[in-house]
Amino acid sequence: MDLQPIHPDPTNFWKKYVFSTDHKVIARQFLWTGLLFLALGGFLAMVIRYQWAFPDSRAIGPAEYASTFTMHGLIMIFWAITPALIGCFGNLTIPLMIGARDMAFPLLNMLSYWTFFLSAVLIIASFMVELGAAAAGWTTYPPLSTQVGTPGWGQSLVVLAIFVTGSATIMGSVNYVTTVIRLRAPGMTWGRMPLTVWGLWLTAILNVLFVPVLAAGGLLLLLDRHFGTEFFIAGAAATTGAGDPILFQHLFWIFGHPEVYILILPAWGIMGDLLSFFSRKPAYWYKGQVWAMVAVTVLSAIVYGHHMFTTGMNPLLGQTFMLLTLIISVPAELLFLNWLHTIWKGSIRLTTPMLFFLGAVFVFGLGGLTGIFLGTISTDLYLHDTMFVVGHFHFTMAAASLLATFAGIYYWFPKMYGRMMSETLGKWHFWISTVTITLVFTGQMVVGYAGQHRRLYDPYQYTFTAHLDDMNFWTSIAAFAMAAGQIPFVLNWFSSMVAGRKAEANPWQVGTLEWTVPSPPPHHNFDVLPVVVRGPHEYANPDVRAALGRDWIGQTEDLPERDPASGGTAVEAASA
Amino acid sequence: MRPSRYVKLLWLTLLFSLSAPLAWAAPQPESGYSFPRDASVHGHRIDWLIEITMVFCIILFVIMCIWMALAVFKHGEDHEAEYDHGDTKHSMYVAFSLSAIIFLIVDGNLFYWAVKDLNEAFWAFDDAYAAENHLKVEINAHQWAWDFRYAGPDDVFNTADDIVTLNDFRVPVDTPVIVQIASTDVLHSFALPNFRVKMDAVPGSITQLWFQAKRTGDYDISCAQHCGTNHYKMKGQISVLTQEDYDAWFRHATRVSELAYDPEDESAHWGWTWEKL
Repeated sequence: MDLQPIHPDPTNFWKKYVFSTDHKVIARQFLWTGLLFLALGGFLAMVIRYQWAFPDSRAIGPAEYASTFTMHGLIMIFWAITPALIGCFGNLTIPLMIGARDMAFPLLNMLSYWTFFLSAVLIIASFMVELGAAAAGWTTYPPLSTQVGTPGWGQSLVVLAIFVTGSATIMGSVNYVTTVIRLRAPGMTWGRMPLTVWGLWLTAILNVLFVPVLAAGGLLLLLDRHFGTEFFIAGAAATTGAGDPILFQHLFWIFGHPEVYILILPAWGIMGDLLSFFSRKPAYWYKGQVWAMVAVTVLSAIVYGHHMFTTGMNPLLGQTFMLLTLIISVPAELLFLNWLHTIWKGSIRLTTPMLFFLGAVFVFGLGGLTGIFLGTISTDLYLHDTMFVVGHFHFTMAAASLLATFAGIYYWFPKMYGRMMSETLGKWHFWISTVTITLVFTGQMVVGYAGQHRRLYDPYQYTFTAHLDDMNFWTSIAAFAMAAGQIPFVLNWFSSMVAGRKAEANPWQVGTLEWTVPSPPPHHNFDVLPVVVRGPHEYANPDVRAALGRDWIGQTEDLPERDPASGGTAVEAASA
Repeated sequence: MRPSRYVKLLWLTLLFSLSAPLAWAAPQPESGYSFPRDASVHGHRIDWLIEITMVFCIILFVIMCIWMALAVFKHGEDHEAEYDHGDTKHSMYVAFSLSAIIFLIVDGNLFYWAVKDLNEAFWAFDDAYAAENHLKVEINAHQWAWDFRYAGPDDVFNTADDIVTLNDFRVPVDTPVIVQIASTDVLHSFALPNFRVKMDAVPGSITQLWFQAKRTGDYDISCAQHCGTNHYKMKGQISVLTQEDYDAWFRHATRVSELAYDPEDESAHWGWTWEKL
């Protein structure tokens, strides 16, 4: 117990709300920042869509356009989804779900947020310097991202911001990894951990391993930009360097491919849990889901080459990457089958979080299936760098991660703020968002299938895509509707925070540990550290129903009566 | 390059386009939401593989949707949930074999045909070289245009009789065309959507692709890799000519190039000695 003393509550305003070491406060800080950047990134997306719908309006020029799509991508990935999905839910759920009083390193946790905040300042500042923000694409490929292609401080500030936010991510991830290993409550074995924690833990491992690679690449790029080195500037006819631009692509994608799983693994974990909770049925083949996530985590590290099929890669290397990439479909299919089995023959409660999760499964189905075209070298010859790619990764990283993030917000809002969010507004938000998000990214895939390349200021310059203006126009309309569809969420967020119905400790009637403490929980979470006796998915158990009259049982609850005839209860058999 | 050279190049380009035996026709517009028309001998391999995989994906996706819809509508709040952890040997066996079967059919099909197509067509450079009439072209990508270099009558690159064109790529029909690509500034990607191929232009290295046109006509060349502000304008044109038209153009272009050759203009000698990669 020495590991986790009860710290006194902070009394001072600054320590309580600003420089707090409380994981629950830090979670909310990450969430607020993430949502604000989501709005900014969303605004930039609308500018792109406006340009494609009205290419002749000249509302922005090609230089601003390049900045817009570059910053949209970076902001959404590093400053919106990462803080909301990993920063917020990681901080909020890991200690509460494993029965800990805080993170393993509370001070490091606070530093993680404020380092992240510094990177947010840098990224905002990049918009304000001469020549504008970064414009080399979110992938920041040199030589375009060196002074050769993007002079000015904007690109440098953005690369620096990526480096700083990477440091914040590493701090947070070290914390997550350690907390899960060291601070699980008595009885919280690996096999009893909620899938949410599994997803976040695996994500943290990937972050610890691969964000440093990105940081190294970013640092070398900064050296190239300002200190005259030539790591990524090659010796072609026009230049005299001796570096290799492809080296950056290796560094970038060694990180970049795990990154897409970094952004989806927490969502998968949360989905595995919540599909079970709201189907009132155990998660189907818990161990299978865990192993599938572990397999994806391992595979994600060795498939990155499929981003570089068109760089003139060695054929044998290319084929190896293709095979490894395709193998990822096995664990992914396993996860899908387990989710579908989980909701099958359940007793489904279509609450707002559940709707969002079903939506996330739906869009992830679209995103996952379309990935195999891009992991295959020959089909990638045609589809590489088209809008098909854009539609594919938006379905996975944007649509699925975003819908899962919203689901998580609706689900844990009562635990964070002590009040319920409105179900009516939530359902409006769900239907508008899911329908429009599907239309937008399907529209992108359709024009990509027809050959439209990505990142074009005016795609209709090309004869083979000139006829796609109508499809792009309607896709943009769907995108504007999607933006408008966030109004119910904003209303819901603020009105529920102020005047939402008070939440009881366990409003969803589920058995994981965070719902055994009041909403919101006290500073130290648990007065007495819980003792866990079973897994997180004990629903519809006939013994529990007979003994307790309800369809669920908490992870710490003992069954009051035993059935001597069967030599124990089914619950024990299941959790054994 | 000095401004005067730019002017010269512009005039030459104009001269080319006015006097070329075949008028520079505009590419034909496309319609519908499928692939742009296929002008290549091998493009159908990619089209078929994408289409068949799309069929598999749609089937899987529809099954998933029906499954979800049935679960939601049939097993709503009134339905009593079944107590099933899905961890019996039988259910594990079912889940794993289903995944394996889908993998073997869908991904297996993709992998098999991709490797076959690459080895028989897109990576079969030996076959392209083996064809007696094959054509070699060097491409220099730069912000924001494509330079093409033909070896000229002596069949040696970077000599006085080279034909050099700007955004104007002429090839004979039914002839394997091998291109080697370089870049002088940033990354570009040489894409021929109507031929289903693309390859990055990487500063510091030379990349290659090959294709064979099956019908005459004019098509767009597109840059597929973001290369700066005017990336969207980095457009060229490929004209597939009959052998006679191509030969006529070639003779004409050779004469013009000889006139235009300037031994002191070093930046115009960007070509390289052709080596099999």
